[in-house]
Order: sequence, then structure tokens, then C-alpha cells
Amino acid sequence: MSVADFKEDCFQLPQNLTVRAIGTVRQEMLQLIDNNKSTTIAIASDCQVDISFVQLMEAARIYAGSAGKNIALAEPANGPVLDVLKRSGFLEGMSSDDAKFWLHQGGIQ
Amino acid sequence: MSFPDPIAVFRTEAAELLEQIEAGLLDLNVNLGDKDQIDAVFRGLHTLKGSGAMFGFEALAAFTHHCETAFDRVRKGEVPATQALVTAVLEAKDHMRALVETPAGDHEATSEALLANLRAAVDGAKSPGVHQAADVPAQTLFKIRFSLPQNAMANGTNPLPLLDELRELGECTIVADRSAIPSLDLLSPTDLHISWNVELLTSQPRSAIEDVFIFVMDDMQLEITAVQAATAAAKSPERQETPIQAAEPVAAEPVAVSAPRVPAPVTAAPAPTDAKASKASENVRVPAEKLDELMDRVGELVIAQSRLSQLAGGSGDLQLRAVSEDVERLSGELRDTMMVLRMVPVTQLFGRFRRLVHDLSHETGKVIELVTEGESTEVDKSVIERLADPLVHLVRNSCDHGLETPDERRAAGKPPAGRIMLSARQQAGEVIITIKDDGRGINRERVRAKAEASGLVQPNATLSDQELYQLIFQPGFSTAQQVTNLSGRGVGMDVVKRTIDALRGTINVISHPGEGSEISLAIPLTLAIIDGLLVRVGAGRYVIPLSAVEECLELSIEEDMRSRGRSFISLRDSLVPFLRLRDLFRTGTKPDPFQKVVVISTGSERVGLVVDQIIGDHQTVIKAMSKLHHDVATFSGATILGDGDVALILDVGHLVAEGQQQEAHLRAAG
Repeated sequence: MSVADFKEDCFQLPQNLTVRAIGTVRQEMLQLIDNNKSTTIAIASDCQVDISFVQLMEAARIYAGSAGKNIALAEPANGPVLDVLKRSGFLEGMSSDDAKFWLHQGGIQ
Repeated sequence: MSFPDPIAVFRTEAAELLEQIEAGLLDLNVNLGDKDQIDAVFRGLHTLKGSGAMFGFEALAAFTHHCETAFDRVRKGEVPATQALVTAVLEAKDHMRALVETPAGDHEATSEALLANLRAAVDGAKSPGVHQAADVPAQTLFKIRFSLPQNAMANGTNPLPLLDELRELGECTIVADRSAIPSLDLLSPTDLHISWNVELLTSQPRSAIEDVFIFVMDDMQLEITAVQAATAAAKSPERQETPIQAAEPVAAEPVAVSAPRVPAPVTAAPAPTDAKASKASENVRVPAEKLDELMDRVGELVIAQSRLSQLAGGSGDLQLRAVSEDVERLSGELRDTMMVLRMVPVTQLFGRFRRLVHDLSHETGKVIELVTEGESTEVDKSVIERLADPLVHLVRNSCDHGLETPDERRAAGKPPAGRIMLSARQQAGEVIITIKDDGRGINRERVRAKAEASGLVQPNATLSDQELYQLIFQPGFSTAQQVTNLSGRGVGMDVVKRTIDALRGTINVISHPGEGSEISLAIPLTLAIIDGLLVRVGAGRYVIPLSAVEECLELSIEEDMRSRGRSFISLRDSLVPFLRLRDLFRTGTKPDPFQKVVVISTGSERVGLVVDQIIGDHQTVIKAMSKLHHDVATFSGATILGDGDVALILDVGHLVAEGQQQEAHLRAAG
């Protein structure tokens, strides 16, 4: 199974989204953005996640934006991803764009 | 270049934290109201928990959390510190060590039992009453900006527990700074590009914030600015409405500031800080094995320098001689610097006995007071490590057999609390460690009876007190009527003897019935390089440790002939026995016409060593004797000379004892 499986119209990320596996996730994410005009990411609610994933997603947003492409989460961040966002201080200084992307506040990006 | 394993670094740091916690608990046990110690223990537990979580020691973090909570309650005055609580946390501390060393082990049952003890100790403590609002310490608003090293995540550091720890210190606003995150195509995903801005309102000192980062401090960037101070009482509803960000101005150090909406200007309390934190950057932690490696290199350099000196001495080249002298001076200085680096104060060694005595006091039901002296005395680190076991045996023995029970002591007209004194001092190239108790003393008759029964001495043999007391160090020798789980099997004391012998040390025992006993261990300050006096006996060359040399005399043929059969020289009105090393080593050579006597001493005992020639001083890199020569008591080691030859190093303690013995026999023979 590749790191990102195509499932309906979004890409399901693997369970392990920690620093141990983040290199592979980056490669797959690059390919997805390069090959698609719009990329929707699905994250398992019981995934393992750490700050490296949040950083990766932020880097992916910058990359997609500079290439005129779109990237979004299939669902607002919840479970372990939301927990990491809270603990790492990402929620505190969120812009409206950030809130749209991560929390789907104000409509899906 | 290799980087240290972060887990190994954590384990080292955790061991130090555990020692600090233990020391704090033992101090607290003496003075249960000591707020500084309560704070110190709390901070130690807090740091251990936070860093444990950061490095993946989840069980340690979870377990320590309970102890930290208990101490937090003590700190806040919700429960008083009691001896039961201190004992419970001391036991818990031992378990924390196990959780650090074997995190994957099955610790659940022990954890639960210890936590039940802890709960009982906390519940058993009576509440001192409701807290006064005025007791709540002043709070300081800190602005903190930090970024971890770029490779932090790759090295196993998870920033989230650090942030959690900051939150636990007080009211906290944490904002991630993402401005340095590059585009995905440029991202090295295991590098950390996020930094953080934190505002923290806390009653904790600046050092508590620094403690959060203790394991990453060396490589990270950390700015902590105390912005304003306010007491909790001043934190009125209006104050709470004030956004923390509104505080201004930002000052590098505490200054008088006006906080918005606070009626009167509030003078910033000095942000609590300690000297340790400010000095942290002046110290470098170096693994012990690197020091050993460096010591080996210095040893090799000293040998090479010795060779160069010899070559230069034999050559007429003045320039070569000048260079050789420079190298000699520099290598000597390097050696001295190296020695200082390896020296550590015995306080590290003595510290662990406070816990031992605390536990033994509980086990034996005796009241024992431990007094230490000379803790700043410095000894080579390898000596310290090897002294630990013998001292444990001696302290256990004193507690178990030396000191009486409180009733026995009262009956003997002594105070009920027994006293053990551990002291250290330097004396002529040696460190003297003394263990002294005010107990019942060694029972001379019982030692003698036991020695005779075991065939160690003949029934009619005349033995000095010192000779008799030395028998307690024989394997299997014990006069204890009862074997306890502490001592009495006669196993420990021979370990003491063997270890001290291996360290080229000596043991001296003094005992007075009813008053106590004193055991002194005399150990060389270093085991690596010594200044030696190189002498020749027959065709062989030998090294005498210079620290033991008192003086050198000439022994004329006439005086030698005159002293035959007596082997004494008269030295400033006192007779000093001497040993003819030529005879002792059976060289089979004729004596030189002008022999020399090197007078050596250990403490008050002196003996002369007759040699054929004194060659001069020599920096001696000590090499251990092979296992084959382990039992040769006359020599403590060997060294390589400049010309590649091997010289044996004389064991001063053994030779002095032999000389004194010879004197005693001659006196006895009249």
C-alpha cells in the first residue's frame, strides 16, 4: 500500500504521522500536490501524530499556495491532530485562513 | 564526530536529579519545616517528570507525577511535611531509579504499592489549616521565546512535553511561530523549524523555567524576560481582565513598571534566580571515559617525554636539550592540569551514606546521627568510585555492631543517639578517610578468642592492638553473635581489605572499649601518574612514590658494616629501621661503595630503604601489574622508563610495615 491511498476523492494518510515516518509522508505529499490541482487529505482519527506532521502540513500549504493549487483536510482536525495543535500553540495565534484549513471554521478552504 | 545518545544523556541527568532529590529529602527529614528543601524536592521531581515524558519514559513520568503532586501540596501548605511522607518519597525515589534504568520492566505492582504508601503518608498528615491568601507568593510575568536545535526531533526530543511543563508552572499563553517553516519541496521533514513565544504568569522563579529546558539547554536558544510582578492578592478581577499582552514595558531584568489597570505602580520583585543557573554556561559536562582516554594520552606523552629527556641528556646538542626541557615542563604542567580535572570532592561519596544511615536507623531501631567532615577534600575520580563499597561495609558494621541501642547507651551514660563521623583529609599525597563511631568499641578479647579458635594466631602469640584489629579484615572473620541482614557474616570486612590493598592503601584501626572505634583508610590521591624517585638497586631500577620520601642520606661502608645485624640508623636522635633492598630483592650484586638510604614514611611510621644509587625524580605513569604478579606485595605497579625498560614501583605501605616488623623482632630479640 502506498503511503497515501486514494479513497473516493481524497487521500488517506497512513496511521503513523510521527517523525519516524514523516520523510515518506513528505514524498507522497509532494507527488500528490504535483499531480493534482486540488488535494484533499484524510487523517485517521486514531493516527499517531506529533509536531512534525503539523509542520509538514504547514509546509504543504505554502508549497500548494505558491503553485496555485489547493490543499484541504477532509474533516476538521480532531482527536490526536487537534490535541497536537492545542499543545503546540498553533490554535492560539491562528489566522482566519489557518482556522479555515485546520478547523473548517468559516467554510472549507 | 559522534553525538552522545540522548537517552544515555537523560539517564545521566536523571541520576543526578535523583541524587539531588534524595539529598533534599534527607535534609528535610532533619528540618521538616525547611521551605527551601521542600521547594528543591518539588522542583527536582517536577523536572524529572517533565524530562522523563520528553524522552519517552512514560511510566517514570506518570509515577513521578504523584510524588510531585504530594510535594506540591506540601509546598502550598495543604499538608505538612512529615517523616512518613519523606520516607515514602525516598522509597518512591528508589523506584524512579528503576524506572529510569529499566523502563520496559514490570514495575506496575511496585508502583502501586509505593503509591499506596504515599497516599497513606499524605492522608496521615494533618492539615495545618486553611491557607492565608497573603501566603501566596508573588507572581511574575515572564516572556519566553525559545527555539530548539534544528535536529531536536531527529534526536528524540519532543517539544510538546516541554510546552506542557511550561503550562504547569502557571497561567500560560503559548503561540507557535511558523514563520521559518519552508515550502514542502525545501523542507527537511525531521528538522524543526517552529519556535515558540510564551507568556507565563507564575510564582515560580526563573530557574524553574530554565529547568524545563535542562536537557536541551546547551544547544537551544532561550530568552526569558521578566516583565512585571504582582502578588496573587493584587490579582484582582480587574487584573484578571487585563490581557497579559498588555503589560509593558518589556525589560531585560526586573525593573519598576506600571501595569495597566493596576491601581498603584507595582515594583517588580527580583525574578528569583540562582547562582547555579548563571554559572551553568561556565561548565562543560564531559563523559568520564573521555577523561580516562585523555589521561592515557597524557601518560603516553609523559613516557615519550622521558625518552626524549634521556636522548637529549646523552647528546651534546644544546638546542635539543633546550627543546627537551621545554617539553618536560609542558608535559608536567599538562599532567598537573589533567590531575585537577580528574579530582572530585568526596562530598559525592559521602552524600550516599546519609541515605544508608537513614535506612539503617529504621532497620536497627537505633538513633544514629551521621556527621561528615572534609567533604571538599578532592580525590581522583577512580579512587572515589572504588571507595564506595568498602565504606558501605564499614558504615554498616558501625551501625550494626559498633553502636548500641538507645537503652544500652543510656545505661552506659551516653546520649541515646549514636554518632558516626565520616571525615576526609589530605596528608602527604594520600587521602585519609576515617569512619569513627562512639559505640561500644571492638571487643579485643572476643577478637583474640575468635582468632585463636580459627587458628589465625597461636594462643601464646604477642600481638599489638593494631595487629589484633587487623584480623577483623580476614576472610570470614566475624565476632558478631548474631548474623543480621546488615552484617555479621564476616564477608564485608575482607572486601574492605582487598579493595584498599588494590588501591595501594592501608587501614588503621583504633578502638577504645566503651568509647567507640575509628577506622582510617589511607589511599593515594591518584592511581594514574605520580611523582616518583627513581633509584637503582643492583642492576634494576625502581620507583619510590615521592610523596612518601622524607629525606635521602648517604650510608658509608663503615656505617653499613657497623649496623650489620641491627639495621638501624640514627636520625636526629631517633632510631629508624632500614631495609637493604639489595638483600630483599636478592640481586646477588656487590653494594656500591656509597650506598644511599631513602627514608620513607606513612603517617608517623618511618623506615629507610638502602639503595645503590639515587637516579632522580621521575614522572611515573602507573601501569597495573599482571595477574601473575598480583600477590607480590612489595610492588604496587610498574612503569615504563624513557629507554623502554620497565621499573617496578615500590609499595611504600608494605615496606614500612615490613621495616617496623623487623624492628619489633629485633627489639624482642634484645
